[in-house]
Amino acid sequence: MKCFLIASESAEVLFYWTDPEFQQNVQEKYGASQEEGQGLPAFEDSVSTLFAPIIISCSTMVDRLSDSYTSFTTENNHIYVLQKFDECLYIAVNGDGEESENDMRRKVYVMKKLIEVLFGMVTLSSNLLRKELRPQDTAQRVRLWKHLQSLLETYSHLRDNDQSFLVEAVERLIHPTLCEQCIEFLERRLVQQLNSSVERAGEEVLHAFILVHTKLLAFYSTRSASRLPTSDLLTLIIMAQSMYPSNADLDDPVPEDIESTSGSGPESFYTPEPSPTDRDSSSSDKPVRESTPVFEFMDPDIQMAEDSLQTLEVPPPDPSTPRRVFLEISGKDRPYPMMPHSMYCLPLWPGITLVLLTKIPTSALAISVYKILDAFDQLEKRLSESQEGSAAPRGTPNIHDIRGKLDKLIKTLVTSEVQSAQLQNVWTEFKNRAFARGGSGFNKDLIPWCKNMKTQLCGIYRQYFLIDSGPADIPQRLSPALQERAQTMAQEKLMDWKDFLLVKSKRNITMVSYLEDFPGLVHFICVDRFSDQMIAPSLSIAERTTSELGKGPVAQFIKNKVWNLVSTMRCFLRKGYSTVTLRDGDFYFCYFLWFENENGYKLEAGDIPILPDDSAPIGMLAWDYYRKLLRYKSKNHQGEVVKCYELLTVHLGVIPTEIILQHCRQLASKLWEPSRNPLL
Amino acid sequence: SSVMAELMPSDSRRCSYFFLYDGSKVKGEGDPTRDGICYFYPEETSLDKQELLCGQLAGVGRCVSELSSSPVRVLRLRRNKFAIRMKDEFFWALGCSAEVPTIRVCELLDQLINLFCFYNGSVRQSYQRNSRETLAARWAQYLSHLQSGSSELQHIFSCLRTIDSTNVDPLLLLKAALILQACQRCPLVLAGCILFRGRVVSTQMSPELTMKVMVYESENYAKVQRPNGPSTSSSFGGDVSSTTVFLTMSELQDLQSAPVDKDFRYSHSTPHKDAHPKKTRLSRTLSELAFSGSDSFGPGSSQSPQKVSLSHCLSESDNSVFSPAGSQSTADPFNPSPQPLKHQFSSGNNSEDTLYESCYHSFHSEGAGGSRIHSEGGDGSVFEENSHLSAGGGDGDTACEMMVKCGNEESCDDKVMVGESGAGNETTQDHRTDRDPPPPCPDNTDESPLVPITLYQHRVKGLVLALLVEPHFLSDTPSMEEVYHSSLASLNGLEAHLRAISPGAPGTPGPYIFAHYDSIQSTLTTNLSGRPEGAPEHPFVRATSLLHSHFSNTETLQEAIIRSAGAAVYGTSSVAHETYFQQHGGSLRNSGIPNHQDSAFSLPSKARHRLLKHGVNLL
Repeated sequence: MKCFLIASESAEVLFYWTDPEFQQNVQEKYGASQEEGQGLPAFEDSVSTLFAPIIISCSTMVDRLSDSYTSFTTENNHIYVLQKFDECLYIAVNGDGEESENDMRRKVYVMKKLIEVLFGMVTLSSNLLRKELRPQDTAQRVRLWKHLQSLLETYSHLRDNDQSFLVEAVERLIHPTLCEQCIEFLERRLVQQLNSSVERAGEEVLHAFILVHTKLLAFYSTRSASRLPTSDLLTLIIMAQSMYPSNADLDDPVPEDIESTSGSGPESFYTPEPSPTDRDSSSSDKPVRESTPVFEFMDPDIQMAEDSLQTLEVPPPDPSTPRRVFLEISGKDRPYPMMPHSMYCLPLWPGITLVLLTKIPTSALAISVYKILDAFDQLEKRLSESQEGSAAPRGTPNIHDIRGKLDKLIKTLVTSEVQSAQLQNVWTEFKNRAFARGGSGFNKDLIPWCKNMKTQLCGIYRQYFLIDSGPADIPQRLSPALQERAQTMAQEKLMDWKDFLLVKSKRNITMVSYLEDFPGLVHFICVDRFSDQMIAPSLSIAERTTSELGKGPVAQFIKNKVWNLVSTMRCFLRKGYSTVTLRDGDFYFCYFLWFENENGYKLEAGDIPILPDDSAPIGMLAWDYYRKLLRYKSKNHQGEVVKCYELLTVHLGVIPTEIILQHCRQLASKLWEPSRNPLL
Repeated sequence: SSVMAELMPSDSRRCSYFFLYDGSKVKGEGDPTRDGICYFYPEETSLDKQELLCGQLAGVGRCVSELSSSPVRVLRLRRNKFAIRMKDEFFWALGCSAEVPTIRVCELLDQLINLFCFYNGSVRQSYQRNSRETLAARWAQYLSHLQSGSSELQHIFSCLRTIDSTNVDPLLLLKAALILQACQRCPLVLAGCILFRGRVVSTQMSPELTMKVMVYESENYAKVQRPNGPSTSSSFGGDVSSTTVFLTMSELQDLQSAPVDKDFRYSHSTPHKDAHPKKTRLSRTLSELAFSGSDSFGPGSSQSPQKVSLSHCLSESDNSVFSPAGSQSTADPFNPSPQPLKHQFSSGNNSEDTLYESCYHSFHSEGAGGSRIHSEGGDGSVFEENSHLSAGGGDGDTACEMMVKCGNEESCDDKVMVGESGAGNETTQDHRTDRDPPPPCPDNTDESPLVPITLYQHRVKGLVLALLVEPHFLSDTPSMEEVYHSSLASLNGLEAHLRAISPGAPGTPGPYIFAHYDSIQSTLTTNLSGRPEGAPEHPFVRATSLLHSHFSNTETLQEAIIRSAGAAVYGTSSVAHETYFQQHGGSLRNSGIPNHQDSAFSLPSKARHRLLKHGVNLL
């Protein structure tokens, strides 16, 4: 019995998802009164009625106690997780014991991440986001919510079944030769052709990658592209999976195939560097990423030009229409979050997908808007921190730079079709107050105007990047013919490999190859947190196939153990413990986290920050925990590249601890030995 | 030496809010929320805030429990977490800071409500009979009792405060047990405990019940006078008092069904005698041990009192857990026919003492028993007896046998040990169902009827004899006199001895820290002294708290080593014990990469060796 809800402060449902059990439960409680064809609004109403007291109480607690609910647990072990992001309250409910509170909080954060990737900087204005998440038009709302529901379901499925989503790192398909060929194909042939075509309508392919189910076969980024953050890449994989879900049971191979196709022996999992560009962009001279500023918009009644909302259009069902996604790029001096890109998801065969990410022609504008928005945000913070009554010293230094930039931006906007009258009015008013002689200057009175400016800027951004261009415009996208050509090229390239790849993705690494060297080892997961890639033997639990773990229930049991171990080790990591061993039932579990420099020299463990209980879940999708950990560690190792690795092992409990630890040691060095330049 | 740390409660675990809200008083639209507030802590909280918290939490609680068709148990905010109880129209909430483990907050609230019901009976009826002010004082009293005077470690395990057993002559402990036993010769006496300066010397009751009884003692000790309280003074003078308390049916049954040798009481036996043949208890075994005569006393009968109380408590929680064969009898295989107490009393102190010396194991320390068993391992008789027990031996002491069995393996080398204990743990797992989180709802609030009974207390300076007696005990002057006079001299003697004991010198910080928790008797042994070492931010305390939560939540978890920058701590958990160990010194400098030479991984063997001398047997 599960439910997921996003609500506004006034208990308006901005999004919901329920499983059939929860829906049934609600209907039983409120009588199945809805008539045929009106199911959705009626059900939505009952959900809203049910949760309204909780939502309103939550606001009251924030207003009057500056504290908010984070979770409820009932005696029959129903769990409610609540998390407020600005003015949106996310609520996850579980009544079947399948998810822990931590799982549910993670789901909430992942949903927020998905919404950020889909709506970009619009999420910085609760007022705008509310309208975006709950379109007036019912059909449009249904479509949007169906889309979000599908993403949520896809994520939940992957989290429960896919090891790369369990540890939130990318898993590569391990086949060095093919991998290399594919990268070359993407670089020399595909991307080059696309970017030199006139049919690309001003767009430029930045990243191209091939997914086999959730595993990465090849990833190529052009030289002008910045590194695609792992959290973004994982989100894109969820989106691709949601569009073209892989049916695990259908394409599960028969065991004979495995013998003939997959290489055996541990050497098969060493692959060359996946892509030179990818490497370069992740190397040491990259500036350390700044944390993304968080904007707060408190005033819900900012006047927006209502007519601009009317232009919101239902995306046409044309499959060649790209998805607008907002991804982080690293600029020269700093990262810019939520920059608009187009995502083309081209299915090659069921389970195999080519994904193209393009830069759109107007993306430079996004950076300008972001810079200005950020400046207003900093000004607002400065003003609210300043002493009551006393004026801040002429604002912040960069507000004066921004003044010129914004004037210039407005001039550009006027010439375009974007409605910017409201922005101009607010800006004029702001200037009068802040800069004019008779104005009040930089003091607390300016705070509402800062907020208003931010909302206006988000509105401009929304019009530019979120709404499809009017019909008069030339469509900003790779032409359907060009997309088709890309698809065909990739299909031709992989035609002979297709069946192998589908099998390989299910048997990427097998435990068999380790049994001889590591007797008693049941399973392991290794994660390189510097490049955010993981390797682990496949855990196939399908009924009709036999893995090394045995059939059905046994494999399922071990799988559950592994999943629990990851969650337990996160609990300890959160409290600052980076080495954990557990004897649990018939098994012995180990977890190690350690740091190395570029030459493979092991750095002293040192302390790991202790996180408060209400902090975001550890991982990459919800929150770049490991990125922050690396930065924290780098402080003591100036001028050095700090790398971070994790190893989890499951052994049979009867193996002596000393042997287990030797195994761990060997695994760690075998998989990560720098001289051998392993697969990652 | 072990030091029971005595500390002021630290802020981290001080309860930040507690309230009882009666929804039945706020029904109409116009009813102000304050009408429903029965008690609110801290009392100085502004009424506005009280109303806000009660109104919001109770409202949200009701809404959630309707959605899930089940009462809310835990309600978390960013900065506070609340344990919740919803019963009839009552709504209790106890809030602690977010760092306190959830399991502990819930325990605290349950203890608080149970205490209230123990001394006042049903909550609804109490509020019908008494003013809110009167009852508010009681809530405040119970709350302060629960929060006072235990160390952070004791707080983590929520254990009984006992006298420092390492510092006390075991004979005194036995003497205390004998006094209790002597009192039981009066059939109106159900069970009792002896306390010294707010700490348990000996008890015949479950830890939960002992904990409840101790509140009355501390209240009396503090000379808190309740003008309209239920205390009655007696003809025996100011040192005897009594009060009505309320037991749940199951608590009462446990007390009545315990096969004290009622045949030898000087009047009728209780009708329940045969109803619960699996129950056994400390006093009986003591008598058997002490008076079975030196001839029949041999290694085979070396069951410590601790052992028997262990099985007693376990069978109390779930009979089936420890008696797979289901056919256990209370008869002690070694001493099938205990002899009359009266007779034995005449046997004189000297012979008693000799016997005690040879057979008595400290109530507090399993270790005394453990090491003793180990030392006797050579003769094998104990182990022979036990070797077939996991297959369903009939004497019902399975839990103890497992300990004994483990003890036998000490001589094996490490490698074999790992394998063996792995197999042994199989059995353990099956028996550890009682380690599930405690049942979410204590069973004694209004649901099951509460039975009034009398708590009789006889104080001799710092020493207190507390007895649970049938209500008509007070009107039965001969019985009262018998109990009073038969114990008076012994109590005086015990008091004098206990008073004479100088408090143990605070343990010098050794090369290691350990904490050993006996979950059956709810006692803790540790060498970690009070502040600042015992503070919650101490690495050992932090690790212990975290591991204890994990052990409580994962019943299959047996051992853990966790390492942070500050400390590497080893924890191990069995059906009856949890032990935590940290080694000082040695290089904490390490890269964190797996390394079998890493000192963290030698903690289990170090703990095994180091703790033997504290009587903690980890084998």
